[in-house]
Amino acid sequence: MSVLAPESEAELAASIRSAWEAGEPLAIQGNGSKGAMLRPVQAARTLSTRALSGISLYAPNELILEAGAGTPLATVEAAVAAAGQQIIAEPPDLSALLGASSVQTIGGVVAANLSGPRRVAAGAMRDHLLGIRAVNGTGEVIRSGGRVLKNVTGLDLCKLLAGSHGTLGVLSAVTIKVLPAAESAGTLVLGGLDPARAVAALSAALGSPYGVSGAAFLPAAAAARVPALAGLGASATLVRIEEFAVSVAYRTARLRDDLARFGRADLLDDPASRAVWRAVRDVVPLAGGSGETVWRVSVRPSSGPAVLEAAEAAGGCGMLDWGGGLVWITAPTAAAEAVMAGARAAGGTWMLMRAPETLRAVLPVVPPEPPALARLTRAVKAAFDPKGILNPGRVFAGV
Amino acid sequence: MQTNFSPDQLRDPELAESNTILRTCVHCGFCTATCPTFVLLGDELDSPRGRIYLIKDMLESGGPATEPVVRHVDRCLSCLSCMTTCPSGVHYMHLVDHARTHIENTYRRPLPERVLRSVLALVLPRPWLMRLALLGAGVARPFRSLLPGKGMMAQRLRALLALAPRRLPPPSAAQSPQVHRAEGKRRGRVALLTGCAQQVLAPEINEATIRLLTRLGIEVVIPRGMGCCGALTHHMGKHEPAMAAARANLAAWSAEAEGEGLDAVIINTSGCGTTVKDYGFMFRAEPEPWRGRAERISALAMDVSEYLSRIGYAPTRPAPALTVAYHAACSLQHGQKITVEPKALLRRAGFTVVEPAEGHLCCGSAGTYNMMQPAIATRLRERKLANLAARRPDLVAAGNIGCITQLSGGDFPLVHTIELLDWMAGGPAPASLGPLLAARAA
Amino acid sequence: MIALPEPKAEVLARRDDIVAGLRALLPADAVIAEPERLRPYETDGLTAYRQIPLAVALPSTTDEVAAVMAFCHREGVRVVPRGAGTSLSGGALPLADAIVIGLMRLNRILSVDYADRVAVVQAGVTNIGITQRVQEEGFFYAPDPSSQLACMIGGNVNMNSGGAHCLKYGVTANNLLGLRIVTVEGEIVEIGGAHLDAAGYDWLGLLTGSEGQLAIVTEVTVRILRSPEGARAMLAGFRANEVAGACVDAIISSGIIPVALEFMDRPAIHACEAFAHAGYPLDAEALLIIEVEGSVEEQDRLLGQIRTICERFDPVSLRVAQTAEESAAIWKGRKGAFGAVGRISPDYLCMDGTIPTSRLPEVLGRIGAMSREYGLQVANIFHAGDGNLHPLIMFDANDPASMHKAECFGADILKLCVEVGGCLTGEHGVGVEKRDLMDVQFTPTELDQQRRIKSAFDPGWLLNPHKVFPLAAAAA
Repeated sequence: MSVLAPESEAELAASIRSAWEAGEPLAIQGNGSKGAMLRPVQAARTLSTRALSGISLYAPNELILEAGAGTPLATVEAAVAAAGQQIIAEPPDLSALLGASSVQTIGGVVAANLSGPRRVAAGAMRDHLLGIRAVNGTGEVIRSGGRVLKNVTGLDLCKLLAGSHGTLGVLSAVTIKVLPAAESAGTLVLGGLDPARAVAALSAALGSPYGVSGAAFLPAAAAARVPALAGLGASATLVRIEEFAVSVAYRTARLRDDLARFGRADLLDDPASRAVWRAVRDVVPLAGGSGETVWRVSVRPSSGPAVLEAAEAAGGCGMLDWGGGLVWITAPTAAAEAVMAGARAAGGTWMLMRAPETLRAVLPVVPPEPPALARLTRAVKAAFDPKGILNPGRVFAGV
Repeated sequence: MQTNFSPDQLRDPELAESNTILRTCVHCGFCTATCPTFVLLGDELDSPRGRIYLIKDMLESGGPATEPVVRHVDRCLSCLSCMTTCPSGVHYMHLVDHARTHIENTYRRPLPERVLRSVLALVLPRPWLMRLALLGAGVARPFRSLLPGKGMMAQRLRALLALAPRRLPPPSAAQSPQVHRAEGKRRGRVALLTGCAQQVLAPEINEATIRLLTRLGIEVVIPRGMGCCGALTHHMGKHEPAMAAARANLAAWSAEAEGEGLDAVIINTSGCGTTVKDYGFMFRAEPEPWRGRAERISALAMDVSEYLSRIGYAPTRPAPALTVAYHAACSLQHGQKITVEPKALLRRAGFTVVEPAEGHLCCGSAGTYNMMQPAIATRLRERKLANLAARRPDLVAAGNIGCITQLSGGDFPLVHTIELLDWMAGGPAPASLGPLLAARAA
Repeated sequence: MIALPEPKAEVLARRDDIVAGLRALLPADAVIAEPERLRPYETDGLTAYRQIPLAVALPSTTDEVAAVMAFCHREGVRVVPRGAGTSLSGGALPLADAIVIGLMRLNRILSVDYADRVAVVQAGVTNIGITQRVQEEGFFYAPDPSSQLACMIGGNVNMNSGGAHCLKYGVTANNLLGLRIVTVEGEIVEIGGAHLDAAGYDWLGLLTGSEGQLAIVTEVTVRILRSPEGARAMLAGFRANEVAGACVDAIISSGIIPVALEFMDRPAIHACEAFAHAGYPLDAEALLIIEVEGSVEEQDRLLGQIRTICERFDPVSLRVAQTAEESAAIWKGRKGAFGAVGRISPDYLCMDGTIPTSRLPEVLGRIGAMSREYGLQVANIFHAGDGNLHPLIMFDANDPASMHKAECFGADILKLCVEVGGCLTGEHGVGVEKRDLMDVQFTPTELDQQRRIKSAFDPGWLLNPHKVFPLAAAAA
């Protein structure tokens, strides 16, 4: 399969324009690190944004950064870290989980709207996307948003394109809001809770006035795969505070008291905290497992335990983030129906993150939409990509 | 906000005044949220901003008022919650007063309504007539459900009868013209507005006021010639009767002020207080001596809670452990912007004071509103009672007889703030607390 | 003056039938059609533009909204949704051949779930109504537009409203989980739910801020947050706008992100003080309101650090609120600021552009120069932390020349915002007011792209017509 990697936005537009004229579908990617996700795309050619790389603007005082879509995420992270700042949504590196060898790009993270543990408190990748430049399915360059922190001018195409997985337009550049990184982090660990009890503890923590920025639950098997937690020999319920160091000390102490009814919490110091949350963020405990499929289920937090139990009953295993609202599941192929039924019963949503290609081609990788929304999906797709050449079928068959 | 008055129209001082008020409004809409009728009815036309617009149109056109405008202006409680909320300082009270006068002068209401309004305007401000009417109503009250009809008029008559008290207290001698001497050294001298409806319905309020003030060293004058403040007719748009009532009071008080002197004109019915404080405005175009008198009297007018805060109040006995929900009368909180003093005094007296949610919303009393708009008034009453009950008070205190009448019959006794203050400073326990205190003692 | 399209004569001709049709669908008091009673609906928070609608419908349920929409769709009648009517961009401006659907009667809070930290509320619930409902449990709804007392959540969703505290807590879009909408065809559709990040296209994100162009919102699922232990505001007055701007920059650069960082210039300070009596320094040229959160010790420490930074800029006054009442008074002044300008001027136009914060001093200087050029006073009130400006241009609507100058002045300010890298509107929306400036910020291609999305939802362009998109683009 040939790969086009235009080196400028104009080239990108030209490539798409000629594909549009020829009616020729394109598989859209950055470095292809998320190829295992969602439905396989049938296209003769691949269009990569990897050559649109580089940070074009970084103004720490204005809390903004603009980069080419193909800029490796690590490059962006290193740049903001050097100025004491961070990407707010804490995007994960799922390469181990997805079995990818390539590094992900900032464009890919935005297009998939991937966010890490901090999402529960501080918003998703799409929430901090200030501006985009993209090329639609006819080769037109479209901008939306800009480089300022607040902007409601016109329809918000930033949010529409974030999480659209390259099916509406190909991002050429993104502008994101960044914030100062917290001086320090601390984590309370409650050992041995069952999932329902754990989510109750996480709800109490997130419902506290202490600004919890991470709330996760690792069943014993998952906890055992994280070095700092392996010693527990039991499930781990994790609550994170990121603040000035004195505030971390104060707030974790207060929270420990508030959570005393759930047991005696241990406190992880700054380095241990960072290591543990990196593992949670990247779903390390489930990576390289024997499960054939990986699912990401989003439900109301109190329903997380039920979804997890349904998956476990079907032979899967998993872990909870976002206070219980994000359920990561790895399971055998045969458990697919059980996982989807669990998510459906909880009124939530799922995304198939990894599975054999044959399975991904036939399963609903996200929940089917009710007819009115399915109509809108097709109409909006047509409004951007009338001939359906951008990542056709990536999310919904035929779209 | 833009207005369209002709130069000719603007030569009329009333219209010029309203134009100034309208020009202050920037149509931001904040007032809608705290307006009781908008909250209940969800229609711009039943919000202050909507009414301002309707009034603007009516005044600009110069023609007679029309039914739609009258309907929505009539639904206004004149609670003045909008004036508390308004960031621009729109004087809605003066605008709606002007509109009501315009309506009264140019709009012919259906006959039964005209009769009812005239009767109310005649009876309520005259204690002896009111007493007579209430005795009659007491006889009719048990039969109110037999009143036929579902129309507005039938509703109104039923509401009237429902509001009439079961038992009428005997007239109180303390309220007739006289001078109540201060106990001990005289520290001040005030005139007390004894009111009209209040002195018939609840003479204990004036009695408590007189007892407490004289005990605190204040001489309390009940001047001869004083009567209704004029608010009842004023709010019906009946300009002349209102001015006449005000003039009588101005004459009575000015005689005292210019004679032996007055430190204040004390008002313990906040609805009246708002009006007396507005005499200065009402008489702004009147010839002297009225104009000057009105200005001076308005400046002397004080709610009793205001005055007590100024001269100092202290209890003389330990308070029983009672939780008092303070119901802020609109005329006190919005009309006169007195919000802190009554609560502070009640706390000073030793009570635990709580406040209901939505304290800014009117209870539906609003002068004659509960008789003229019974459906809305009843919904507001129920909402207020539920908010009060949620705070689980032993009793409710308010500074306005209208609210006390409107909210009575709930799960808790209602008293005037002054009755509690008097009680804790040596006066008798309010009679309406009898059952509560007996239950406590048992 | 912004042009409004010609009403469709054939719709006007059917007025009586259309009103009768609405009356068949709704209770008697829910349809307004008499000219006199329609007049107060002719405008919203932007009174410069007025238009009496064909009729007003006041449904009380989603089903009634759906019935009205289906009827209008069938009859080809345009629809203007309206909440509290507080839009400063004319978002609820009616049209002579359109029905206004007022959502004020959908004013119930349907459910509150503290464990999952969500509330489901109808579109006509006021912004502050949500916080008032949950505050006894220690929670709040974060976006806090200045009109929060009156503005309704349905309008907040449609305008993606911000507020003083969005520097930390984000704008409306960042605090939503789900919507119940009625499509132009009258179909009821659920978007999202009580969970984060639904799969499929981000309908929630697209609908938020869509200014009533895509659907009618009748219910909203919002995130509620636990309130911090405490919050305190401080006031810092400076000798010049430029100095205050530099101080803002220094605070952000220090790594401290205050929960709110608000700016007022001299005319604004005086107007707000007259309303709120908050103790604003009347001798300052520029005032910053800076708020921090946390425990008392944390507040003290952060305020101490901020004070040290402020002191480098030779402040005229520095005052930290000592009590909750003092903080409340400080915010009362700020939140009533627009209305308070009504005390010093009969009318104002409120601009809402956003600029890169680094350009603040320069932009303020140029606005000052324009003010002198146009001979119109301007009060500047804005969210300094995120560069969202609210210049309030004072004029006299009874004087057509003054009004025309104000409009030109406003347009010049917005063009300046775009020129320095910003945008036309940060939180008030395009509405009718900035519609004709859209091509300053967007290329024709970009506008076409947005227009096609509008068409995907509303092929007949019946929803809130003549807003957002320049008329030529809308007609194309």
